Amino acid sequence: MYKKSLALLLVSLMILTLALSGCSKPATQTGTEGGAAADVIKVGWMGSLTGDQAVWGQCELDTVKMLFEEINAKGGVLGGKKLEVIGYDTKGDPQEAVNVAKRLTGQDKVVAIIGPNASGSAIPIAPVLEEAKVPDIATVATNPKVTVLDGKVKPFNFRVCFIDPYQGAVAAGYAYDVLKFTKAAILYDVADDYSQGLTEFFEEFFKAKGGTIVAKEAFKFGDVDFRPQLSKIKEAGPEVLFLPVFFKEAALIANQARELGITVPLMGGDGLPSEQLFTMAKDAVQGTYIVNHVDYDDPEVQDLKTRYRNKYGKELELNGYLAHDAVVLLVDAIERAGSADPVKITEALETADVQGVTGRIKIGKDTHNPEGKEAAIVKIEGDKYVFQQKYSAQLD
Amino acid sequence: MSQFLQQLINGLSIGSVYALMAVGYSLVYSIMNFSNFAHGGVIMLGAYFGYFYLTAAGLPFPVAFIGAALTTCLLAVIIERGAYKPLRERKAPFLYFIISAMGTSIFLENIVIATIGPTFRTYPEILSRTPIQIGSVSVGRLDLTMFIISAICLALLVFFIDHTKMGKAIQATAYNIKASALMGINTDLVIIVVFALGGFFAGIAGVLFGMKYTVYPQIGIITNKSFIAAVFGGLGSLPGAVIGSILLGIIETITSGYFSSQYRDLIAFVLLIAVLIFRPRGLMGKVTEDKA
Repeated sequence: MYKKSLALLLVSLMILTLALSGCSKPATQTGTEGGAAADVIKVGWMGSLTGDQAVWGQCELDTVKMLFEEINAKGGVLGGKKLEVIGYDTKGDPQEAVNVAKRLTGQDKVVAIIGPNASGSAIPIAPVLEEAKVPDIATVATNPKVTVLDGKVKPFNFRVCFIDPYQGAVAAGYAYDVLKFTKAAILYDVADDYSQGLTEFFEEFFKAKGGTIVAKEAFKFGDVDFRPQLSKIKEAGPEVLFLPVFFKEAALIANQARELGITVPLMGGDGLPSEQLFTMAKDAVQGTYIVNHVDYDDPEVQDLKTRYRNKYGKELELNGYLAHDAVVLLVDAIERAGSADPVKITEALETADVQGVTGRIKIGKDTHNPEGKEAAIVKIEGDKYVFQQKYSAQLD
Repeated sequence: MSQFLQQLINGLSIGSVYALMAVGYSLVYSIMNFSNFAHGGVIMLGAYFGYFYLTAAGLPFPVAFIGAALTTCLLAVIIERGAYKPLRERKAPFLYFIISAMGTSIFLENIVIATIGPTFRTYPEILSRTPIQIGSVSVGRLDLTMFIISAICLALLVFFIDHTKMGKAIQATAYNIKASALMGINTDLVIIVVFALGGFFAGIAGVLFGMKYTVYPQIGIITNKSFIAAVFGGLGSLPGAVIGSILLGIIETITSGYFSSQYRDLIAFVLLIAVLIFRPRGLMGKVTEDKA
């Protein structure tokens, strides 16, 4: 008999974990509890709180929470209304992102959504937003299709970061014009929109400038061994290795490349910077160039960095800076709209022009992207990201 | 030529990781005739145990290594008792075992996400990352160590199966579980031993995997490949699992090295399917009629 109860116990435990991890519990809910609904403006957040990108998702959510608490302490928005964030985990899964968007707009009735950080999750939520008429401000979703599809702007999708073509083009331009490299190799994730986007534009711009791509190799999400591809790249003899990937893969690739005797500098986009990169591959990533959204040493970002460190006892990840700017953009739009009506907020977002910590964010009406934002080129030296220069590439 | 040698070494090193993982699938399959998908979860926990024994408990590496293997050994037996034995006693169809195994695997992954957290962790550097250079070919110290440890473990396992009384009992049970029971073999004990062995190997594979790459809750993605390698080599056959794994590693690296890394999985797995079409029992699998 006790065996039966043991089996039952195990089964119920399994169901419980599944329910806890897979279902509808909001990851967070802060702000004023129990206040009259009219005095609270609910803002949704979505992003990855599990998996490889959990470090970033958690940082975004923490940043939004911190900023809302600060704004509420200063008297809120629209003359006294409090901001409240409702955050859900997308698990980095596009389908889950759609579910989360439906829940936020349908059930929680949020006025706007911040996030997600991943393009793969930001792209499929557009129909949900359009149906509910609720705007979304993506943080680090850099794929062009997040806001523009087939030449038409998506009415409710906005973002505060620059786009992949721009990152790829900046990396290509900087490698060729400033670093004077003419032979580049690429190792990218064939199953990832972000990685493919950067690769496409890096290749196009690098070739247009007169450079050659000596090797273009791929891997698939979940891979941990890259030596077959790297051995081939080594034979091709590039002067720089472009890695349009995320930090975990970048760290593994860097270690394995050095093991195989590839000594050329590495280069990557905004997927690289993370404190984790150093724990995993500090020696191997020395001298790596990164196209980033923000210069970590910029005096303008120091205040935010300190506030975050004091509150959470951790370093602010890249996503936090962009989550901050998404909040700034949203609060400005709410104030200018003079109301918490999602459609009015959307209209206000279309004409937004604010100063964020990552630069000036002037939303283009036809693209819903921040126009003409400069990228910061940083180089890894020791355990620091050393600012090299601001660089903007011409896209035509 | 030097690239070819390098790719061969890469393939061997990747294949030996698959092999350590595949052995656990094969062992259980040979006795119980179902694919123990919970094995991937046990490997993942092995990586975590090793990590915590090293960092939080501060144990020296050999102790942490063996300790992790013993812990997963115990864990695998607990899983057998909790998730499979009740089904066995009720003579449930094999499909139920597979469902139970998948459930356990999801359970283990989620319990790690919920308690330890979803982010990945890095093992402290135990072996130097500087590779050994032989001509223009470089061999990682860790790869070499892994290869040697895998080889020793697999040799010991083969010895155990072929030359001990318990090993013979395992063979007999694999051949026909009912007849073995009638002949006085304690098949329940045999099953425990098989799960314990599988768990021990899972721990070793987990720690080695964690050292080489990183530790994260979704290590199961890789173990799926080792499962496929075990099928390719012939589920239920130990040499088959090892040869299938090494071949898969080499096919993968040669495909990325000489054809296209974009199509690596496509080409490698079409090849595997082709082999299975012509030889459904895998390279070295037993003829299915034997097991009926």
